[in-house]
Amino acid sequence: MAAPLNHFQVMTLFALIISLAFGTLGRRRPKERLKYAAWSFALFLLIGIAIGWAMYPFSR
Amino acid sequence: MEEPTTEQQQKPVESTALPLSASSAEERRKLIALLIGIAGWALPGLGHALQKMWGRALAVFLAVGALVILGAGMRGNLFTSRGEDAFATLGYFADLGSGSFYWIARSMETAGPDVSHSAGDYGTRFLATAGVLNLLAALHAYEAARGRKA
Repeated sequence: MAAPLNHFQVMTLFALIISLAFGTLGRRRPKERLKYAAWSFALFLLIGIAIGWAMYPFSR
Repeated sequence: MEEPTTEQQQKPVESTALPLSASSAEERRKLIALLIGIAGWALPGLGHALQKMWGRALAVFLAVGALVILGAGMRGNLFTSRGEDAFATLGYFADLGSGSFYWIARSMETAGPDVSHSAGDYGTRFLATAGVLNLLAALHAYEAARGRKA
């Protein structure tokens, strides 16, 4: 790729794509889809950051 | 012994004919659902498109397509059938889940994978996720075609 992305950017991109797909597949109404996708996206990021911090003491 | 009336003679015929017809319709529905599931696997979103679920079809097509393009662009490892260990075989099945997009990714990776950098490692995950997401979508399309809540 032209501009390499850092870990956080890749994780955010991944979370965004998957959350939108989950929201569309998992719910019928547009409002519910958006809510589900936003909730899923937030959880992806929060859990990703939490696991990152949990692994920090063992990273070096 | 009393002879059965015409109505009594017809009753058993009616009671067996209806379940047979219903069973045949159910078998047909199962077959169509299976074909829809296979179509959804072969081309991401097609399973939903065949059922006129346009929003879902577009979302699956774009999500799987974006993951494959990003994964191949990052030079992620696209596993082949000649895997050296169980993980490589599992990776192959995950990658194969994206159906025809597997070959698109292969054609995009002309320089081969490069997992010596973190981007290549991310790309490997993107490609595997594209396959697993497409399998999930194909299963969803199958369930919807069976008339189950989807």
